[in-house]
Amino acid sequence: MKRATTDSWVVRYLLIGFMLAFILIFLVFPVCVILIEALRRGLAFYFSALSAKHSISAIRMTLTVAAIVVPLNTIFGVCAAWAITHFKFPGKSLLISLIEIPLWVSPVVGGLVFALIFGRQGWLGTWLETHQIQILFALPGIVLATAFVTFPFVARGLIPLMQAQGSAEEEAALTLGANGWQLFWRVTFPKIKWGVLYGMILCNARAMGEFGAVSVVAGSVDDKMTMPLQIENYYQALGPGGLPRAFALASILLLLSVITLAIKIGLEWRSLAPHTVRPIKPVSPH
Amino acid sequence: MSVAVSHISKRFETRGQRAVPALRDVSLEVQTGELLALLGPSGSGKTTLLRIIAGLEIADEGQVFFGQEDVTEKSAYARKAGFVFQAYALFQHMTVFENIAFGLRVLPWKKRPNAEAIAKRVGELLTLIQLEDHEKRLPSQLSGGQRQRVALARALAVEPRVLLLDEPFGALDAKVRRDLRKWLRHFHEQTHLTSLFVTHDQDEAFELADRVVIFNEGRIQQIGLPSELRQNPANDFVRAFLEV
Repeated sequence: MKRATTDSWVVRYLLIGFMLAFILIFLVFPVCVILIEALRRGLAFYFSALSAKHSISAIRMTLTVAAIVVPLNTIFGVCAAWAITHFKFPGKSLLISLIEIPLWVSPVVGGLVFALIFGRQGWLGTWLETHQIQILFALPGIVLATAFVTFPFVARGLIPLMQAQGSAEEEAALTLGANGWQLFWRVTFPKIKWGVLYGMILCNARAMGEFGAVSVVAGSVDDKMTMPLQIENYYQALGPGGLPRAFALASILLLLSVITLAIKIGLEWRSLAPHTVRPIKPVSPH
Repeated sequence: MSVAVSHISKRFETRGQRAVPALRDVSLEVQTGELLALLGPSGSGKTTLLRIIAGLEIADEGQVFFGQEDVTEKSAYARKAGFVFQAYALFQHMTVFENIAFGLRVLPWKKRPNAEAIAKRVGELLTLIQLEDHEKRLPSQLSGGQRQRVALARALAVEPRVLLLDEPFGALDAKVRRDLRKWLRHFHEQTHLTSLFVTHDQDEAFELADRVVIFNEGRIQQIGLPSELRQNPANDFVRAFLEV
Protein backbone atom coordinates (compact mmCIF):
# COMPACT_ATOMS: atom_id res chain seq x y z
CA MET A 1 0.00 0.00 0.00
CA LYS A 2 1.27 3.42 -0.92
CA ARG A 3 1.32 6.03 1.81
CA ALA A 4 -0.62 9.18 1.10
CA THR A 5 2.08 11.49 2.40
CA THR A 6 5.83 11.47 2.24
CA ASP A 7 6.30 12.88 5.76
CA SER A 8 8.81 10.95 7.80
CA TRP A 9 7.66 9.10 10.91
CA VAL A 10 9.35 11.75 13.09
CA VAL A 11 7.05 14.46 11.76
CA ARG A 12 4.05 12.22 12.08
CA TYR A 13 4.68 11.27 15.69
CA LEU A 14 5.61 14.84 16.60
CA LEU A 15 2.35 16.14 15.18
CA ILE A 16 0.24 13.43 16.78
CA GLY A 17 2.06 13.89 20.09
CA PHE A 18 1.60 17.65 19.97
CA MET A 19 -2.11 17.26 19.27
CA LEU A 20 -2.55 14.76 22.09
CA ALA A 21 -0.66 16.97 24.54
CA PHE A 22 -2.79 19.93 23.52
CA ILE A 23 -6.01 17.97 24.02
CA LEU A 24 -4.80 16.68 27.40
CA ILE A 25 -3.85 20.12 28.72
CA PHE A 26 -6.75 22.12 27.38
CA LEU A 27 -9.62 19.63 27.36
CA VAL A 28 -9.05 16.57 29.52
CA PHE A 29 -7.22 18.28 32.39
CA PRO A 30 -9.95 20.87 33.11
CA VAL A 31 -12.59 18.15 33.10
CA CYS A 32 -10.56 16.16 35.62
CA VAL A 33 -10.08 19.24 37.79
CA ILE A 34 -13.83 19.80 37.88
CA LEU A 35 -14.48 16.24 39.00
CA ILE A 36 -11.64 16.22 41.56
CA GLU A 37 -12.63 19.56 43.06
CA ALA A 38 -16.30 18.62 43.12
CA LEU A 39 -15.56 15.46 45.11
CA ARG A 40 -12.70 16.81 47.25
CA ARG A 41 -14.81 17.05 50.39
CA GLY A 42 -16.39 13.67 49.90
CA LEU A 43 -19.60 12.35 48.44
CA ALA A 44 -21.73 13.53 51.34
CA PHE A 45 -20.70 17.13 50.86
CA TYR A 46 -21.10 16.75 47.09
CA PHE A 47 -24.72 15.67 47.37
CA SER A 48 -25.56 18.22 50.04
CA ALA A 49 -24.08 20.92 47.79
CA LEU A 50 -26.23 19.73 44.92
CA SER A 51 -29.38 19.51 47.00
CA ALA A 52 -28.91 23.03 48.36
CA LYS A 53 -31.90 25.25 47.61
CA HIS A 54 -30.01 27.48 45.19
CA SER A 55 -28.42 24.57 43.32
CA ILE A 56 -31.77 22.89 42.80
CA SER A 57 -33.42 26.09 41.62
CA ALA A 58 -30.53 26.76 39.21
CA ILE A 59 -30.76 23.25 37.73
CA ARG A 60 -34.50 23.63 37.39
CA MET A 61 -34.13 27.06 35.78
CA THR A 62 -31.58 25.87 33.23
CA LEU A 63 -33.67 22.86 32.25
CA THR A 64 -36.83 25.00 32.00
CA VAL A 65 -35.10 27.57 29.81
CA ALA A 66 -33.71 24.87 27.52
CA ALA A 67 -37.11 23.17 27.34
CA ILE A 68 -38.70 26.42 26.13
CA VAL A 69 -35.94 27.78 23.92
CA VAL A 70 -34.98 24.63 22.01
CA PRO A 71 -38.48 23.89 20.61
CA LEU A 72 -39.00 27.59 19.89
CA ASN A 73 -35.83 27.93 17.85
CA THR A 74 -36.42 24.56 16.19
CA ILE A 75 -39.80 25.70 14.88
CA PHE A 76 -38.33 29.00 13.81
CA GLY A 77 -35.31 27.36 12.19
CA VAL A 78 -37.36 24.89 10.17
CA CYS A 79 -39.78 27.61 9.02
CA ALA A 80 -36.93 29.94 8.04
CA ALA A 81 -35.04 27.21 6.18
CA TRP A 82 -38.24 26.19 4.37
CA ALA A 83 -39.07 29.74 3.34
CA ILE A 84 -35.53 30.46 2.20
CA THR A 85 -35.15 27.30 0.14
CA HIS A 86 -38.63 27.04 -1.37
CA PHE A 87 -39.73 30.61 -2.02
CA LYS A 88 -38.31 33.38 -4.15
CA PHE A 89 -38.46 36.78 -2.51
CA PRO A 90 -36.37 39.94 -2.52
CA GLY A 91 -33.80 40.34 0.25
CA LYS A 92 -33.33 36.60 0.71
CA SER A 93 -29.55 36.65 1.01
CA LEU A 94 -29.82 39.56 3.45
CA LEU A 95 -32.19 37.49 5.57
CA ILE A 96 -29.71 34.60 5.67
CA SER A 97 -27.09 37.02 6.98
CA LEU A 98 -29.50 38.53 9.50
CA ILE A 99 -30.20 35.11 11.01
CA GLU A 100 -26.51 34.89 11.85
CA ILE A 101 -26.39 38.15 13.81
CA PRO A 102 -26.27 36.40 17.22
CA LEU A 103 -23.10 34.61 16.13
CA TRP A 104 -21.34 37.88 15.37
CA VAL A 105 -22.59 39.96 18.27
CA SER A 106 -21.24 39.46 21.78
CA PRO A 107 -23.84 37.73 23.96
CA VAL A 108 -23.51 40.53 26.54
CA VAL A 109 -24.62 43.03 23.91
CA GLY A 110 -27.59 40.77 23.11
CA GLY A 111 -28.52 40.71 26.78
CA LEU A 112 -28.13 44.49 27.05
CA VAL A 113 -30.62 44.99 24.22
CA PHE A 114 -33.29 43.18 26.23
CA ALA A 115 -32.32 45.09 29.35
CA LEU A 116 -32.75 48.31 27.37
CA ILE A 117 -36.19 47.30 26.09
CA PHE A 118 -37.66 45.76 29.24
CA GLY A 119 -35.62 47.42 32.00
CA ARG A 120 -37.08 49.86 34.51
CA GLN A 121 -35.56 52.77 32.59
CA GLY A 122 -36.15 50.99 29.30
CA TRP A 123 -38.62 51.61 26.49
CA LEU A 124 -41.35 49.40 27.91
CA GLY A 125 -40.28 49.69 31.55
CA THR A 126 -43.03 51.98 32.82
CA TRP A 127 -45.76 50.17 30.94
CA LEU A 128 -44.60 46.78 32.23
CA GLU A 129 -44.40 48.09 35.77
CA THR A 130 -47.93 49.50 35.75
CA HIS A 131 -49.23 46.18 34.43
CA GLN A 132 -47.09 44.25 36.89
CA ILE A 133 -45.41 42.15 34.25
CA GLN A 134 -41.99 40.93 35.26
CA ILE A 135 -39.69 40.19 32.33
CA LEU A 136 -36.23 41.20 33.45
CA PHE A 137 -34.72 39.28 36.39
CA ALA A 138 -37.25 36.51 35.75
CA LEU A 139 -37.84 33.51 33.52
CA PRO A 140 -39.16 35.48 30.48
CA GLY A 141 -36.02 37.63 30.33
CA ILE A 142 -33.70 34.63 30.60
CA VAL A 143 -35.69 32.81 27.91
CA LEU A 144 -35.52 35.83 25.59
CA ALA A 145 -31.77 36.28 26.04
CA THR A 146 -31.09 32.58 25.56
CA ALA A 147 -33.37 32.43 22.51
CA PHE A 148 -31.46 35.34 21.00
CA VAL A 149 -28.09 33.68 21.48
CA THR A 150 -29.20 30.26 20.17
CA PHE A 151 -31.35 31.69 17.36
CA PRO A 152 -29.25 30.60 14.34
CA PHE A 153 -28.31 27.05 15.27
CA VAL A 154 -31.15 25.08 13.67
CA ALA A 155 -31.72 27.36 10.68
CA ARG A 156 -28.06 27.69 9.78
CA GLY A 157 -27.54 23.96 9.54
CA LEU A 158 -30.76 23.33 7.62
CA ILE A 159 -30.51 26.02 4.95
CA PRO A 160 -27.50 24.55 3.09
CA LEU A 161 -28.88 21.03 3.60
CA MET A 162 -32.26 21.90 2.10
CA GLN A 163 -30.72 23.95 -0.69
CA ALA A 164 -28.54 21.00 -1.65
CA GLN A 165 -31.53 18.66 -1.69
CA GLY A 166 -33.54 20.94 -3.96
CA SER A 167 -37.30 20.90 -4.44
CA ALA A 168 -37.73 18.04 -6.91
CA GLU A 169 -39.31 15.59 -4.45
CA GLU A 170 -41.56 18.33 -3.09
CA GLU A 171 -42.72 19.17 -6.60
CA ALA A 172 -43.43 15.51 -7.27
CA ALA A 173 -45.50 15.33 -4.08
CA LEU A 174 -47.45 18.43 -5.16
CA THR A 175 -48.38 16.94 -8.53
CA LEU A 176 -49.54 13.83 -6.65
CA GLY A 177 -51.98 15.95 -4.69
CA ALA A 178 -50.20 16.34 -1.34
CA ASN A 179 -51.13 19.45 0.64
CA GLY A 180 -48.55 21.53 2.46
CA TRP A 181 -48.85 19.60 5.72
CA GLN A 182 -48.53 16.19 4.05
CA LEU A 183 -45.70 17.51 1.90
CA PHE A 184 -43.70 18.58 4.94
CA TRP A 185 -44.24 15.54 7.15
CA ARG A 186 -44.09 12.85 4.49
CA VAL A 187 -41.46 14.21 2.10
CA THR A 188 -39.38 17.05 3.52
CA PHE A 189 -39.08 16.08 7.18
CA PRO A 190 -37.73 12.56 6.59
CA LYS A 191 -34.98 14.12 4.49
CA ILE A 192 -33.98 16.72 7.08
CA LYS A 193 -34.75 15.02 10.41
CA TRP A 194 -31.11 14.32 11.29
CA GLY A 195 -30.20 17.89 10.43
CA VAL A 196 -33.02 19.16 12.65
CA LEU A 197 -31.92 16.97 15.56
CA TYR A 198 -28.31 18.00 15.12
CA GLY A 199 -29.33 21.66 15.21
CA MET A 200 -31.45 21.05 18.31
CA ILE A 201 -28.51 19.47 20.10
CA LEU A 202 -26.20 22.37 19.31
CA CYS A 203 -28.95 24.76 20.34
CA ASN A 204 -29.49 22.87 23.58
CA ALA A 205 -25.79 22.79 24.45
CA ARG A 206 -25.50 26.51 23.96
CA ALA A 207 -28.78 27.24 25.78
CA MET A 208 -27.66 25.37 28.90
CA GLY A 209 -24.18 26.87 28.90
CA GLU A 210 -24.93 30.51 28.07
CA PHE A 211 -23.50 32.95 30.57
CA GLY A 212 -22.99 36.44 29.11
CA ALA A 213 -26.42 37.30 27.74
CA VAL A 214 -28.22 35.69 30.66
CA SER A 215 -26.06 37.40 33.28
CA VAL A 216 -27.27 40.81 32.07
CA VAL A 217 -30.99 40.01 32.22
CA ALA A 218 -30.95 37.75 35.27
CA GLY A 219 -29.28 40.26 37.52
CA SER A 220 -28.34 38.87 40.90
CA VAL A 221 -31.59 37.45 42.19
CA ASP A 222 -30.61 34.20 43.86
CA ASP A 223 -33.55 32.02 42.90
CA LYS A 224 -33.71 33.36 39.31
CA MET A 225 -30.36 32.00 38.24
CA THR A 226 -29.32 29.46 35.68
CA MET A 227 -26.58 26.95 36.39
CA PRO A 228 -23.70 28.95 34.86
CA LEU A 229 -24.77 32.01 36.86
CA GLN A 230 -25.12 30.07 40.09
CA ILE A 231 -21.70 28.50 39.57
CA GLU A 232 -20.20 31.94 39.22
CA ASN A 233 -22.16 33.04 42.26
CA TYR A 234 -20.86 30.19 44.41
CA TYR A 235 -17.36 30.80 43.15
CA GLN A 236 -17.47 34.48 44.11
CA ALA A 237 -19.05 33.80 47.51
CA LEU A 238 -16.78 34.20 50.47
CA GLY A 239 -16.29 31.59 53.09
CA PRO A 240 -15.47 27.91 53.01
CA GLY A 241 -17.48 25.60 50.78
CA GLY A 242 -17.96 28.16 48.01
CA LEU A 243 -15.45 26.61 45.68
CA PRO A 244 -16.50 22.97 46.15
CA ARG A 245 -20.13 23.99 45.72
CA ALA A 246 -19.28 25.75 42.48
CA PHE A 247 -17.47 22.67 41.24
CA ALA A 248 -20.26 20.34 42.35
CA LEU A 249 -22.78 22.28 40.27
CA ALA A 250 -20.27 22.54 37.43
CA SER A 251 -20.00 18.76 37.39
CA ILE A 252 -23.73 18.54 36.67
CA LEU A 253 -23.39 21.00 33.80
CA LEU A 254 -20.50 18.86 32.61
CA LEU A 255 -22.67 15.76 32.84
CA LEU A 256 -25.35 17.44 30.71
CA SER A 257 -22.67 18.35 28.15
CA VAL A 258 -21.37 14.79 28.07
CA ILE A 259 -24.90 13.49 27.46
CA THR A 260 -25.36 16.02 24.67
CA LEU A 261 -22.03 15.05 23.15
CA ALA A 262 -22.93 11.37 23.31
CA ILE A 263 -26.22 12.02 21.51
CA LYS A 264 -24.39 14.09 18.90
CA ILE A 265 -21.83 11.34 18.26
CA GLY A 266 -24.64 8.80 18.08
CA LEU A 267 -26.46 10.96 15.54
CA GLU A 268 -23.39 11.47 13.41
CA TRP A 269 -22.82 7.75 13.40
CA ARG A 270 -26.46 7.13 12.58
CA SER A 271 -26.70 9.70 9.79
CA LEU A 272 -23.51 8.38 8.18
CA ALA A 273 -24.83 4.82 8.13
CA PRO A 274 -24.67 3.46 4.57
CA HIS A 275 -28.37 3.07 3.99
CA THR A 276 -29.04 6.76 4.47
CA VAL A 277 -26.39 7.91 1.99
CA ARG A 278 -28.22 9.34 -0.96
CA PRO A 279 -26.95 8.35 -4.39
CA ILE A 280 -26.09 11.07 -6.85
CA LYS A 281 -28.87 11.24 -9.36
CA PRO A 282 -27.94 10.97 -13.01
CA VAL A 283 -28.52 14.20 -14.88
CA SER A 284 -29.29 13.99 -18.53
CA PRO A 285 -27.75 16.32 -21.09
CA HIS A 286 -30.75 18.57 -21.52
CA MET B 1 -59.57 14.85 -21.51
CA SER B 2 -57.99 17.51 -23.69
CA VAL B 3 -55.44 20.01 -22.46
CA ALA B 4 -55.12 23.48 -23.87
CA VAL B 5 -52.94 26.50 -23.25
CA SER B 6 -53.91 29.85 -24.61
CA HIS B 7 -51.59 32.84 -25.13
CA ILE B 8 -49.09 31.78 -22.48
CA SER B 9 -46.13 34.07 -21.83
CA LYS B 10 -43.45 33.69 -19.20
CA ARG B 11 -40.29 35.61 -18.35
CA PHE B 12 -37.62 34.58 -15.90
CA GLU B 13 -35.99 37.25 -13.77
CA THR B 14 -32.29 36.70 -13.41
CA ARG B 15 -30.41 38.90 -11.03
CA GLY B 16 -28.28 41.52 -12.75
CA GLN B 17 -29.58 40.55 -16.16
CA ARG B 18 -32.48 41.43 -18.36
CA ALA B 19 -35.52 39.20 -17.92
CA VAL B 20 -35.29 36.42 -20.49
CA PRO B 21 -38.56 35.50 -22.16
CA ALA B 22 -38.96 31.74 -21.84
CA LEU B 23 -42.34 31.57 -23.56
CA ARG B 24 -43.94 34.08 -25.90
CA ASP B 25 -47.65 33.88 -26.66
CA VAL B 26 -47.89 30.09 -26.85
CA SER B 27 -51.25 28.50 -27.73
CA LEU B 28 -51.65 24.78 -28.11
CA GLU B 29 -54.21 22.03 -27.73
CA VAL B 30 -53.54 18.40 -26.87
CA GLN B 31 -56.59 16.47 -27.99
CA THR B 32 -58.23 13.81 -25.86
CA GLY B 33 -56.31 10.56 -26.07
CA GLU B 34 -53.47 12.10 -28.04
CA LEU B 35 -49.77 11.59 -27.44
CA LEU B 36 -48.08 14.85 -28.30
CA ALA B 37 -44.35 15.60 -28.37
CA LEU B 38 -42.79 18.98 -27.62
CA LEU B 39 -39.57 18.94 -29.60
CA GLY B 40 -36.90 21.61 -29.54
CA PRO B 41 -33.32 22.45 -28.62
CA SER B 42 -32.42 22.91 -24.97
CA GLY B 43 -33.46 26.25 -23.54
CA SER B 44 -36.31 26.60 -25.99
CA GLY B 45 -38.94 26.78 -23.25
CA LYS B 46 -40.58 23.39 -23.68
CA THR B 47 -39.96 22.22 -20.09
CA THR B 48 -41.26 25.56 -18.80
CA LEU B 49 -44.48 25.03 -20.76
CA LEU B 50 -44.86 21.55 -19.29
CA ARG B 51 -44.32 22.91 -15.76
CA ILE B 52 -46.89 25.65 -16.37
CA ILE B 53 -49.44 23.05 -17.46
CA ALA B 54 -48.76 21.05 -14.27
CA GLY B 55 -49.01 24.19 -12.11
CA LEU B 56 -45.40 24.03 -10.92
CA GLU B 57 -44.68 27.34 -12.62
CA ILE B 58 -47.02 30.32 -12.92
CA ALA B 59 -47.38 31.95 -16.33
CA ASP B 60 -47.19 35.75 -16.54
CA GLU B 61 -50.03 35.77 -19.05
CA GLY B 62 -52.40 33.30 -20.60
CA GLN B 63 -54.66 30.48 -19.50
CA VAL B 64 -54.49 26.71 -19.01
CA PHE B 65 -57.50 24.46 -19.60
CA PHE B 66 -58.07 20.85 -18.62
CA GLY B 67 -61.05 19.94 -20.81
CA GLN B 68 -63.55 22.78 -20.40
CA GLU B 69 -62.23 23.67 -16.97
CA ASP B 70 -60.03 26.74 -16.59
CA VAL B 71 -57.30 25.63 -14.17
CA THR B 72 -55.10 28.73 -14.55
CA GLU B 73 -55.67 29.80 -10.95
CA LYS B 74 -55.46 26.31 -9.48
CA SER B 75 -52.38 25.08 -7.66
CA ALA B 76 -50.37 22.05 -8.72
CA TYR B 77 -51.90 19.89 -6.03
CA ALA B 78 -55.44 20.75 -7.14
CA ARG B 79 -54.64 20.08 -10.81
CA LYS B 80 -53.09 16.70 -10.14
CA ALA B 81 -51.58 16.26 -13.56
CA GLY B 82 -49.49 13.09 -13.71
CA PHE B 83 -45.93 14.36 -13.99
CA VAL B 84 -42.82 12.33 -14.69
CA PHE B 85 -39.71 14.33 -13.87
CA GLN B 86 -36.51 14.34 -15.83
CA ALA B 87 -34.43 13.02 -12.91
CA TYR B 88 -37.49 11.03 -11.68
CA ALA B 89 -37.67 12.81 -8.29
CA LEU B 90 -38.55 9.56 -6.53
CA PHE B 91 -38.89 9.78 -2.75
CA GLN B 92 -35.48 8.48 -1.74
CA HIS B 93 -36.49 7.37 1.75
CA MET B 94 -39.53 5.37 0.60
CA THR B 95 -39.66 1.92 -0.91
CA VAL B 96 -40.93 1.37 -4.44
CA PHE B 97 -44.28 0.35 -2.96
CA GLU B 98 -44.55 3.50 -0.85
CA ASN B 99 -43.49 5.71 -3.74
CA ILE B 100 -46.30 4.36 -5.91
CA ALA B 101 -48.81 4.43 -3.05
CA PHE B 102 -48.00 8.05 -2.14
CA GLY B 103 -50.68 9.69 -4.30
CA LEU B 104 -53.33 7.38 -2.80
CA ARG B 105 -52.18 7.91 0.79
CA VAL B 106 -52.44 11.70 0.55
CA LEU B 107 -56.00 11.65 -0.80
CA PRO B 108 -58.57 13.40 1.39
CA TRP B 109 -59.84 11.08 4.11
CA LYS B 110 -63.19 10.38 2.43
CA LYS B 111 -61.69 9.43 -0.92
CA ARG B 112 -58.73 7.50 0.46
CA PRO B 113 -58.85 3.80 -0.31
CA ASN B 114 -58.21 1.36 2.54
CA ALA B 115 -54.91 -0.48 2.92
CA GLU B 116 -56.18 -3.47 0.98
CA ALA B 117 -57.33 -1.39 -1.98
CA ILE B 118 -54.04 0.53 -1.99
CA ALA B 119 -52.07 -2.73 -2.00
CA LYS B 120 -54.20 -4.01 -4.88
CA ARG B 121 -53.77 -0.87 -6.95
CA VAL B 122 -50.01 -0.72 -6.34
CA GLY B 123 -49.81 -4.43 -7.20
CA GLU B 124 -51.51 -3.78 -10.54
CA LEU B 125 -49.11 -0.97 -11.34
CA LEU B 126 -46.10 -3.07 -10.33
CA THR B 127 -47.29 -5.71 -12.77
CA LEU B 128 -47.76 -3.06 -15.44
CA ILE B 129 -44.17 -1.84 -15.05
CA GLN B 130 -42.87 -5.40 -14.58
CA LEU B 131 -41.29 -4.77 -11.19
CA GLU B 132 -43.48 -7.07 -9.06
CA ASP B 133 -40.61 -8.39 -6.96
CA HIS B 134 -38.99 -4.99 -6.38
CA GLU B 135 -41.67 -3.43 -4.17
CA LYS B 136 -39.50 -3.41 -1.06
CA ARG B 137 -36.45 -1.86 -2.75
CA LEU B 138 -35.39 1.75 -2.27
CA PRO B 139 -34.97 3.95 -5.35
CA SER B 140 -31.19 3.93 -4.82
CA GLN B 141 -31.21 0.17 -5.36
CA LEU B 142 -32.81 0.41 -8.81
CA SER B 143 -31.34 0.93 -12.27
CA GLY B 144 -32.15 4.05 -14.27
CA GLY B 145 -34.77 2.31 -16.39
CA GLN B 146 -36.41 0.81 -13.31
CA ARG B 147 -36.54 4.21 -11.60
CA GLN B 148 -38.13 5.66 -14.70
CA ARG B 149 -40.87 3.04 -14.64
CA VAL B 150 -41.48 3.55 -10.91
CA ALA B 151 -41.82 7.29 -11.55
CA LEU B 152 -44.39 6.52 -14.23
CA ALA B 153 -46.33 4.10 -12.01
CA ARG B 154 -46.32 6.67 -9.19
CA ALA B 155 -47.82 9.27 -11.54
CA LEU B 156 -50.44 6.80 -12.83
CA ALA B 157 -51.55 5.58 -9.39
CA VAL B 158 -53.96 8.47 -8.87
CA GLU B 159 -55.45 8.03 -12.35
CA PRO B 160 -54.48 11.48 -13.59
CA ARG B 161 -56.48 13.26 -16.26
CA VAL B 162 -53.33 13.98 -18.24
CA LEU B 163 -49.80 12.65 -18.24
CA LEU B 164 -46.86 15.04 -18.60
CA LEU B 165 -43.38 13.67 -19.16
CA ASP B 166 -40.25 15.80 -19.03
CA GLU B 167 -37.44 14.24 -21.10
CA PRO B 168 -38.65 10.83 -19.95
CA PHE B 169 -35.77 8.90 -21.48
CA GLY B 170 -33.10 11.55 -21.18
CA ALA B 171 -30.93 9.89 -18.56
CA LEU B 172 -31.01 6.36 -19.94
CA ASP B 173 -28.66 4.45 -22.21
CA ALA B 174 -29.65 3.70 -25.78
CA LYS B 175 -30.92 0.14 -25.34
CA VAL B 176 -33.12 0.89 -22.31
CA ARG B 177 -34.32 3.99 -24.09
CA ARG B 178 -35.56 2.03 -27.10
CA ASP B 179 -37.28 -0.58 -24.93
CA LEU B 180 -39.02 2.01 -22.77
CA ARG B 181 -40.05 3.98 -25.83
CA LYS B 182 -41.81 0.90 -27.24
CA TRP B 183 -43.30 0.17 -23.86
CA LEU B 184 -44.68 3.69 -23.52
CA ARG B 185 -46.18 3.62 -27.04
CA HIS B 186 -47.81 0.31 -26.22
CA PHE B 187 -49.08 1.66 -22.91
CA HIS B 188 -50.53 4.69 -24.66
CA GLU B 189 -52.33 2.59 -27.26
CA GLN B 190 -53.97 0.61 -24.47
CA THR B 191 -55.03 3.49 -22.25
CA HIS B 192 -55.25 6.52 -24.58
CA LEU B 193 -54.40 8.78 -21.68
CA THR B 194 -53.91 12.32 -22.97
CA SER B 195 -50.14 12.74 -22.84
CA LEU B 196 -47.58 15.40 -23.54
CA PHE B 197 -43.88 14.76 -23.49
CA VAL B 198 -40.84 16.95 -23.87
CA THR B 199 -37.78 15.81 -25.79
CA HIS B 200 -34.82 17.16 -27.70
CA ASP B 201 -34.47 13.91 -29.66
CA GLN B 202 -36.37 14.02 -32.96
CA ASP B 203 -36.29 10.24 -33.51
CA GLU B 204 -37.97 9.83 -30.16
CA ALA B 205 -40.59 12.45 -30.98
CA PHE B 206 -41.35 11.10 -34.43
CA GLU B 207 -41.46 7.47 -33.37
CA LEU B 208 -43.66 7.96 -30.32
CA ALA B 209 -45.96 10.88 -30.88
CA ASP B 210 -49.20 11.27 -32.80
CA ARG B 211 -48.34 14.90 -33.47
CA VAL B 212 -45.14 16.85 -32.90
CA VAL B 213 -44.81 20.48 -31.82
CA ILE B 214 -41.53 22.14 -32.80
CA PHE B 215 -40.37 24.73 -30.33
CA ASN B 216 -37.67 27.34 -30.51
CA GLU B 217 -36.89 30.46 -28.47
CA GLY B 218 -40.15 30.28 -26.58
CA ARG B 219 -42.36 30.08 -29.65
CA ILE B 220 -44.13 27.29 -31.50
CA GLN B 221 -42.52 26.98 -34.91
CA GLN B 222 -44.79 24.32 -36.36
CA ILE B 223 -47.33 21.68 -35.30
CA GLY B 224 -48.06 18.63 -37.35
CA LEU B 225 -47.88 14.95 -38.05
CA PRO B 226 -44.31 13.68 -38.34
CA SER B 227 -44.73 13.20 -42.08
CA GLU B 228 -46.11 16.72 -42.59
CA LEU B 229 -43.22 18.29 -40.75
CA ARG B 230 -40.66 16.50 -42.85
CA GLN B 231 -42.43 17.26 -46.14
CA ASN B 232 -43.44 20.85 -45.49
CA PRO B 233 -41.21 22.55 -42.93
CA ALA B 234 -42.82 25.89 -42.11
CA ASN B 235 -39.63 27.92 -41.84
CA ASP B 236 -35.85 27.84 -41.96
CA PHE B 237 -35.50 26.85 -38.33
CA VAL B 238 -37.66 23.75 -38.74
CA ARG B 239 -35.84 22.85 -41.95
CA ALA B 240 -32.44 23.19 -40.29
CA PHE B 241 -33.50 21.47 -37.06
CA LEU B 242 -34.95 18.44 -38.87
CA GLU B 243 -32.13 18.48 -41.43
CA VAL B 244 -34.51 18.03 -44.38
